[in-house]
Amino acid sequence: MSSIQKLATGRDKYTLDYPELGTGPVSYEDSYSEEFYQAEKEAIFKRTWLKVGRVEQLPRNGTFFTRELKGLGSIVVTRHTDGEIYALYNVCAHRGNKVVWQEHPAEESKGSARQFQCKYHGWRYGLDGKCSYVTKRDQFFDSLPDDKLAMPQVRCEVFAGFIFVNFSKDAPPLREFLGEKLVTEIEAWPFEKFTNHWSFRTYVKGNWKIGIDALLEWYHPAYVHGRFLDTDVSQAEKLVPPMDSYHYDLFTPHMLTSVPGPPPLKKKQGSVGPAARDMNWVYKLFRAGLFGPDDVRDDLGHLTPERNPGEVKYWSNDQYWAFPNLSIQLWGRGYYITYQYIPDSVGGHNYEVDIYFPEPKTVSERLAQELVVDSTIEFAMQDTNTVEATYSAISQQALSEYHLSDMELMIRQFHHVVRSAVAARPPRSASPIRQEPRQAGTEK
Amino acid sequence: MTTTGTLPEKFSALEPWVEDWALATRPERYEKRLSKTIDELQEFYDAIAPVAEEAIEYLDGFDVNDLPEAETRLMHLLYSMIMVSYPVNIFKQPRIPDSGAAFFNTAVEPAI
Repeated sequence: MSSIQKLATGRDKYTLDYPELGTGPVSYEDSYSEEFYQAEKEAIFKRTWLKVGRVEQLPRNGTFFTRELKGLGSIVVTRHTDGEIYALYNVCAHRGNKVVWQEHPAEESKGSARQFQCKYHGWRYGLDGKCSYVTKRDQFFDSLPDDKLAMPQVRCEVFAGFIFVNFSKDAPPLREFLGEKLVTEIEAWPFEKFTNHWSFRTYVKGNWKIGIDALLEWYHPAYVHGRFLDTDVSQAEKLVPPMDSYHYDLFTPHMLTSVPGPPPLKKKQGSVGPAARDMNWVYKLFRAGLFGPDDVRDDLGHLTPERNPGEVKYWSNDQYWAFPNLSIQLWGRGYYITYQYIPDSVGGHNYEVDIYFPEPKTVSERLAQELVVDSTIEFAMQDTNTVEATYSAISQQALSEYHLSDMELMIRQFHHVVRSAVAARPPRSASPIRQEPRQAGTEK
Repeated sequence: MTTTGTLPEKFSALEPWVEDWALATRPERYEKRLSKTIDELQEFYDAIAPVAEEAIEYLDGFDVNDLPEAETRLMHLLYSMIMVSYPVNIFKQPRIPDSGAAFFNTAVEPAI
């Protein structure tokens, strides 16, 4: 028996702990129906806290960045002269021109400014959105308000250095939405020490939930990533931890899975030996791999009692899923990764992978980071193509139901939570009488 | 051959690789990887791998935030070795297998 098989716990199937999920086949209509996508946008994306960045992106008063969230809003996130962080709809109160952009209005931008000036007729705004100057004001009429002109503010709150916005006026506050478990277990991580940042972006031609599904189970690694592990699939299967060795906690609407991984190499002693065309030799040389650097920093204070709440043997990382579209992975070997999936249509989403290490103290530490980043991205690219292949196939609707194993209980849960959220708020067309007041700037 | 003396003297055997592979950014290194055949990637790997351990030890004698120019070039060669290591050792092709059109844009990376 290989050592990895010793991680087995022999426990019963996880899904049975959640009777409301059932065990039957599931429909993926929620992932290819245009109608469902529109309903989902109203019921979830316009009402739920969405991560738009981190505080390190606003290092000084007067810094800002823009986000283009298609179908939701084009926003500017700023740190005002009062040091507070604001999110503003990127729209001029005069005739609706987009205020903040550089060279190309559809592209995101960043920078620093004392105030914003609309490129159209020169109206000026503070970084809190308040209009500070109207050009040729005497040409307007009494109807022009004295002090109410503004780029409207979007609700914006910060948690653990992550900046979130919410397009709804009546959603509960961020921390209440995240709940005590997420707040306590994530806030314990010293995010401010992890500033060596890589950011990767791609556009995936597939529904955003199919993208998330690809990271919600530990069934696929031996097959999708088989060649990373061993060219012989039966050998690759043996390198993936047994299915009962993981920890899952489905605390609706959020989720956690904790993952085992190999222990770090022993402290370097002597040479790694002659060069070889062998990835294991490369891992030994740079002392790093997919599960992180082998020389784990002990000065970061990241291994607090909150980690590994399910007491997984050979624990590697905690992967929190903050509903609806954000994963925060806290890795025991001293780094964290976020994955985010931002839909722009039923069949496409922007996929963002951000990897954060501490500032390296030595060249070898920096090189180890490079190998971890490279490994992570090589894996992520394989996952991404599977997402496009799945989406193109399910959207043919040749089959109406699909089968989820116990290994895929988070997928079962995730789609269940999405469908429940949509069912709780039927599309407006279903109740034509009730008209919600439209907020300025919410529509394209 | 490129100009001589662009690397620390101890590693002058790697000079022929500087022009192609001493690249400062990940997008440049990735683009270079895709522009090469697997044989070319293997040649570079086989040239740098035998001196890589010595190069890492040598560079660890410097402040990572204040590397002189020649040492920075050597560092970039090691980044490139990482960039080609999966193709050479596992994929046997420059692209990751089954990745189709998948491609990540690097939006942010460290200055060093």
